[in-house]
Amino acid sequence: MSKKILVVDDSKTALMMEREILERRTPYQCVTASDGREAVAKAQQERPDLVLMDVVMPNMNGFEACKMMRQQAGTREIPIVLVTTRGEESYMEAGFQSGCNDYITKPIDSNELVALLQSYLGE
Amino acid sequence: MNREKNNASGHSAANSTSELQLGAARKRLAESTGQEDAIDGLREIVATFLGSEELGLFRVDRSASNFQAFWSFGIDLEEYDLVAALGAAGLQRVMRGEHHVEVSAREHSGALSKAQAFVPIRFANQTVAILAILRLLPQKLAFDGHDIELFQLLSDEAATPLFGESVSGLSMSGSKVSGPGADAKPATGGPGMSA
Repeated sequence: MSKKILVVDDSKTALMMEREILERRTPYQCVTASDGREAVAKAQQERPDLVLMDVVMPNMNGFEACKMMRQQAGTREIPIVLVTTRGEESYMEAGFQSGCNDYITKPIDSNELVALLQSYLGE
Repeated sequence: MNREKNNASGHSAANSTSELQLGAARKRLAESTGQEDAIDGLREIVATFLGSEELGLFRVDRSASNFQAFWSFGIDLEEYDLVAALGAAGLQRVMRGEHHVEVSAREHSGALSKAQAFVPIRFANQTVAILAILRLLPQKLAFDGHDIELFQLLSDEAATPLFGESVSGLSMSGSKVSGPGADAKPATGGPGMSA
């Protein structure tokens, strides 16, 4: 069974791009959410193998969602990769404190993303 | 560059980041559910792929030979003079259907200035609107060849999602969509309308 990635972003364009990368270049299955609150619920429901999540989102941001997933038994161990802009890199200390495993900067480079995902999920 | 050549990881150029961005941008525009969603799509494409969160959209009013600020994000267009920013030569280029990139040496603050881009939105071989990309994000220093491909895609494919049926009239509908930084004043007159 193929591994599943939960992709979270409030930008439909970013979601389309990330989905395109996953579908064309990896064997992973993709499910999506459009804000942190929905991501927490979907992570409980879908139990993905990895969460790829934007930081700046309405309703609940990526840091808060990350913290909530770490507090819940069903999602505590799921690797979480945050997606941030280069200007926000200085905030990533807060990202690691919230429990994320890694981060990648926008605009996403497809080779970089595939390599990062493979490092967590394998080929 | 040979676009058919496979990259180091064995994937064809069609799966390269730039091709995937073009595909996502095209899909986003084509799947827009209405004008507001198309404008959101335009903002997302510019922010995500072109690296700017200050942009304005001007409609071309051929009947009155002027431009009307239609929508903006991250900037107030009230004081913005599109014609002055473009210059006569730039305006003529954009009206002919070519993008125009303006680079000035330094900002007033002394910091290195970055490029601004003006992209014609085309329908039926005419420029019906101009997208002004006014300030790049800190991590982006200049536009590159891939950005030019995105300009072309926006030029060719954004008019119908953005303006719907009114695009074929080539006249101002008077509609205006609000957004952060919006509050545009109408009617910026200028030369180049018949170019």
